[in-house]
Amino acid sequence: MLRLLRIDLKKLTNYRAFWVLNIMYGLLIFSIPVSVMEFLKWLKVKGAEFEGFDPMRIPVLHFPDIWQNITYVYTFLKIFLAIVVIISISNEYSYKTIRQNIIDGMSRIDFIKSKLFTILLLSLGSTLFVFVTGLLTGVIYTPELDFADTFIGIEFVFAYFLDLFTYMVFAFLLTVLLKRSALTIFILLLYTPIEYAISAYLPESFVFIAEYFPLHAINNLIEFPFAKYWFQEIQDFVSMSAVGVVVGYLLIFIYAIHYKLKTSDL
Amino acid sequence: MDTVLKIDNLTKQYGRITAVKNLSLEVKRGNVFGILGPNGSGKTTTLGILLDVINKTSGSFSWFGQPPGKGVRKKIGAILETPIFYPYLSATKNLEIVAEIKGAPKENIDQVLKKVELYERRFDKFRTYSLGMKQRLSIASALLCDPEVMILDEPTNGLDPQGIAEIRELIKQIAKEGKTIILASHLLDEVQKVCTHFCVLKRGTLLYSGSVDEVNKGVESVEVMSDTPEIREVLEVYNKATKIVEESGKFVVTLVEDTHASDLNAYLFSKGITVSHLLTQRKSLEKQFLELLAESDNA
Repeated sequence: MLRLLRIDLKKLTNYRAFWVLNIMYGLLIFSIPVSVMEFLKWLKVKGAEFEGFDPMRIPVLHFPDIWQNITYVYTFLKIFLAIVVIISISNEYSYKTIRQNIIDGMSRIDFIKSKLFTILLLSLGSTLFVFVTGLLTGVIYTPELDFADTFIGIEFVFAYFLDLFTYMVFAFLLTVLLKRSALTIFILLLYTPIEYAISAYLPESFVFIAEYFPLHAINNLIEFPFAKYWFQEIQDFVSMSAVGVVVGYLLIFIYAIHYKLKTSDL
Repeated sequence: MDTVLKIDNLTKQYGRITAVKNLSLEVKRGNVFGILGPNGSGKTTTLGILLDVINKTSGSFSWFGQPPGKGVRKKIGAILETPIFYPYLSATKNLEIVAEIKGAPKENIDQVLKKVELYERRFDKFRTYSLGMKQRLSIASALLCDPEVMILDEPTNGLDPQGIAEIRELIKQIAKEGKTIILASHLLDEVQKVCTHFCVLKRGTLLYSGSVDEVNKGVESVEVMSDTPEIREVLEVYNKATKIVEESGKFVVTLVEDTHASDLNAYLFSKGITVSHLLTQRKSLEKQFLELLAESDNA
């Protein structure tokens, strides 16, 4: 397992785009909480009309709200990591190195594993980074720190991991099907709006199946949290059924990747 | 001699096109085996199937008597068509990846790079290499695991004469070490120069399989010339000659089997004729190849 990961990392760590995208992704993760606080400060200075309410008191980045809030926002950045995955795999096709890897003695399953391990590492690394950023931000901005509150809602960090991992495996599948990087990125970007458009035109009695579309399922892991600040009910937990559907998709994607590679001439 | 590769009735179909048709072959240890055929005759497809990158339609094959699998491929050094490497990585980094896949020791890397004379350029990116250097790097990569079998597909394609000579030297040198080499080529001259055995493919069908020596053996033709004008009459009564053709003052004499130029020379001398020119014409692979292709067209 480590050997396969080492092979793939050797291919990636000397590739400039890999670092550029990862660093961009890291900077964005780091800068979002900072800019949110700056924005709230700015609101306060401008004396925005909150009927005498201090905008700094809005608990966006306070424990325990912070976990759902930041993970929800961060899921929009996952496209950066998906592009890393797409480039890494489409390169293997355009350089034909996938063919040479197999000639040299990898099996098709080894190849899939080595890419999946990299995706796993990216997801874990990113999740850890988000966890640390969330923890620091929460510690800095929560007015009355209460240790008991700190890890409430930590399940959203896990949901974030599952969200990222599944999305990247989906990108892996699209690349295996389409082979070219630009096309794959384009289709991946287009896929979400298409799925939402289809669900909008579903007949009344079929609306419920939209929940089971792949990207709907992934996005359902972490629900939109901010409505609570205008006093609407939100789902402030990770639904187990959403996790179940996503894991189901994960297995389908991996099977489809394997099937496609097994049956195609390289 | 044990069998390295055995192919049984291998067939590959792309839709309605049959790229390889009921191919059966055997390659023994120590052979330098040439696969000849015009472009599009199924050479690369066959090698692709043997290396598991192309799925066969039917038939079977075995390496070292074992069914195909990744373990077997790790013992084979192979290049198909063009050299394939990560263009943004150096030779060393590229070979590190290959070594990791094959489970070959890292210490081999510098050694094979020296062998193909790329050691000085080992830290340069692959994309900066000339075609000849790229070809040499693929040979280095194929040698990395000290393979029992090497598969080379058109290894001199697109090279200049010097590059071709270098690669040929390298192949001969590797063959001398006792490695089995399978070499696909459409260059007959190349196969004749380096191979011990060869087969001929055409549109996926096997036309011929045998040893290069056999081609060289066969019946001999000898070109003779003499200042003595009686040579014609003397030759015409020679009972070991099957055919005599005069070509601009020279006589091309086709001899019966097991008769050689020296026999002809001795005969002429005994009749009091000294020759000023005596040349054995080898039946070239090219001639044989074209004959085979022509035969298959007539059939």
